[in-house]
Amino acid sequence: MSENRSIKRNCPIFCGLYGKDLSPQARYRCMCNSLFIVMLAITLIPLSITSGLNFFQYQQLVREDSRANARWNAESARATINAYLEKLQAAITVVIDSHSFEDLSDSQKLEQIFRQLKKEHQGLVDLSVVGADGIQTAYVGPYRLAGKDYSDSLWLHKALARRMYVSEVFTGFRNVPHFVVAASKKDPSLDRYWVIRASIDTETLDRFLALADTEVLEDIFLVNDSGILQSGSRFHGDVLESFQLTRKPKQSDIIIFEEMRGSSSFYRAVSRIPNTPWLLVLDQQGAESRKIWHIFKGRLQLTLGLCFLASGGMVFWLSRFLAGKFREADEARDSILSETEHSNKLASIGRLAAGVAHEINNPLAIIGEKAGLMQDLVGLEQDFRHREKFLDQLASLQNAVVRARTITHRLLGFARRMETSLTLVQLNGIITEVLSFLEKDAAYRNIHIILQLQENLPVIRADHGQLQQVFLNVINNAIDAIRSDGEIHITSRRENQKTVMVAISDTGPGIAQDVLRHIFDPFFTTKGNEEKKGTGLGLSITYGIVQKMGGKIEVSSEVGVGTTFIITFPVYKEGSEEESNDRA
Amino acid sequence: MTARRILIVDDEVDFGTTLAERLELRGYAAKAVSGAQEAMGVLADNWRPDVVLLDLMMPGVDGLATLDLIKQHDPKIQVIILTGHGSTESGILGMQRGLFDYIMKPVDIGDLIVRINEAGAQ
Repeated sequence: MSENRSIKRNCPIFCGLYGKDLSPQARYRCMCNSLFIVMLAITLIPLSITSGLNFFQYQQLVREDSRANARWNAESARATINAYLEKLQAAITVVIDSHSFEDLSDSQKLEQIFRQLKKEHQGLVDLSVVGADGIQTAYVGPYRLAGKDYSDSLWLHKALARRMYVSEVFTGFRNVPHFVVAASKKDPSLDRYWVIRASIDTETLDRFLALADTEVLEDIFLVNDSGILQSGSRFHGDVLESFQLTRKPKQSDIIIFEEMRGSSSFYRAVSRIPNTPWLLVLDQQGAESRKIWHIFKGRLQLTLGLCFLASGGMVFWLSRFLAGKFREADEARDSILSETEHSNKLASIGRLAAGVAHEINNPLAIIGEKAGLMQDLVGLEQDFRHREKFLDQLASLQNAVVRARTITHRLLGFARRMETSLTLVQLNGIITEVLSFLEKDAAYRNIHIILQLQENLPVIRADHGQLQQVFLNVINNAIDAIRSDGEIHITSRRENQKTVMVAISDTGPGIAQDVLRHIFDPFFTTKGNEEKKGTGLGLSITYGIVQKMGGKIEVSSEVGVGTTFIITFPVYKEGSEEESNDRA
Repeated sequence: MTARRILIVDDEVDFGTTLAERLELRGYAAKAVSGAQEAMGVLADNWRPDVVLLDLMMPGVDGLATLDLIKQHDPKIQVIILTGHGSTESGILGMQRGLFDYIMKPVDIGDLIVRINEAGAQ
């Protein structure tokens, strides 16, 4: 438990960008976490709000579409049944208007009309004529219903009261569910009303309702105001079974109910079929169950999911990348500070050594000259009594001066290479040595160094260390000029019998002509405003060293193209050795 | 044949006079002075040296400034810096101002004479 606390204290999850009291590793990890949390919040909060709004909008659209679809389906089913009934009613009206009670009481005549009607009106079961006393005077159909007394039937009274009547579904004398369409007419000769009646089976209604079957339809049926099913229902029972509606529309309105069943939404549309005792009930699923909405929802979820994943991934990568950059920058700064400290320490030691050497050189020179003069004078005096002994002592003194001089010159050499030691050197070897120092830096900056070194290049006579310094300065300048991504071409070849040359070209930004004129001047630098401040002595020292070795350094440059340094040295020839030694 | 004239300019008077004496023993006409002012006085007295041996670190006018004065007076006079306070930078600066050579103290008299002769021959 306490260990856990200790870990949390040493590496908290959130600490902002500055966890001053933490170890570097914990600080960067914590910085990374903090960046991740902050950026994730910045990215995901607006994304979540957008997603929420999108989801809300989607729900609204689905709801509106569900209601519109339910209304449209109900209207469509109502129109189908209505059209059937209106057509049948119109036919019966024509029959009753064009015939008298006596005409239609003739069974043959009635059968003729029935056959004609049956051709045009599917579901028609029978046709009969009923007198005002309720006795069926004529009947055409499959049942034996002639002479039946309907004086107590509700439909008869309704038909007599109205000119046209569509009944509820009932079983009647035939004991089979059906409904009737009846029309009444007054017989002018008898001054009494009579009725013509057509029976239609309920399967006809079922067939019409089945036409409304859609992708999301659950159930469609008819019910009357008393709650008796007027057609078969898929879920609420068979015809004439009981079913109660909670709300009923007035007149021709369509009312829509929405209810949740589990996780799905359902819509019920209820409408009255005009001039009938029926209410049409249509149950269907919400529009989200439709394939098109299902695909839309899936794509919306996929898009949002991908957005969340991409944002999360991006933030994860970015937080690590930025924390890594912070870390690299801090490490680079620490490294520079450490190098600077080291250089300053070395420079201090160098200055101290040089100061000591300089201060000793002057009295040493006096001792040397005094001893030398004494040697000269004693050497001239042939008769001097202790001449040999004096000369021995003075020679020892001079040797001591030489030894001390060697020490002071070494001290100065440590501080700065002052002494020149000429040896035969191979330029290609020096270039390769120098590149071994710089290759890493160049590779790190993606700078390709392309070598074209001539084999069997003649040797030159030069100071190995100082020549290294020359190439180090020039190639280093080329790398600094390019900064990153470029090429450095180094070519060595024998120019003629007397000279060898090395050309160092870079693909850096080039040097303007007014700057180029001063490039070898002491204390002239172009690195003043950059991170790596120059002393302005690098190229002037290079220039001095090359000249001292009898060589020549030239520079040419074009802004935007690059810069080329050409360094030439005299080829070593036997016999010129002594002269060179003296110059050194 | 007249002896080569050597002017030694060094604030270490003891060093300058001793070196002058040694050079005279070797057949040169040498004079030692302790600073730029005296050196210019010698030049003004029509004693034109062939070679000047010049110290770098001197109070008042330093070696490089003295070099400029001498070169302004007579660009043909060859000057060799002979100093205990040498540095690459001062050497390069001197070379750019027409310095013949640059030698660190203490120096072997034989080596010095070789350089003086080379300078005198220019």
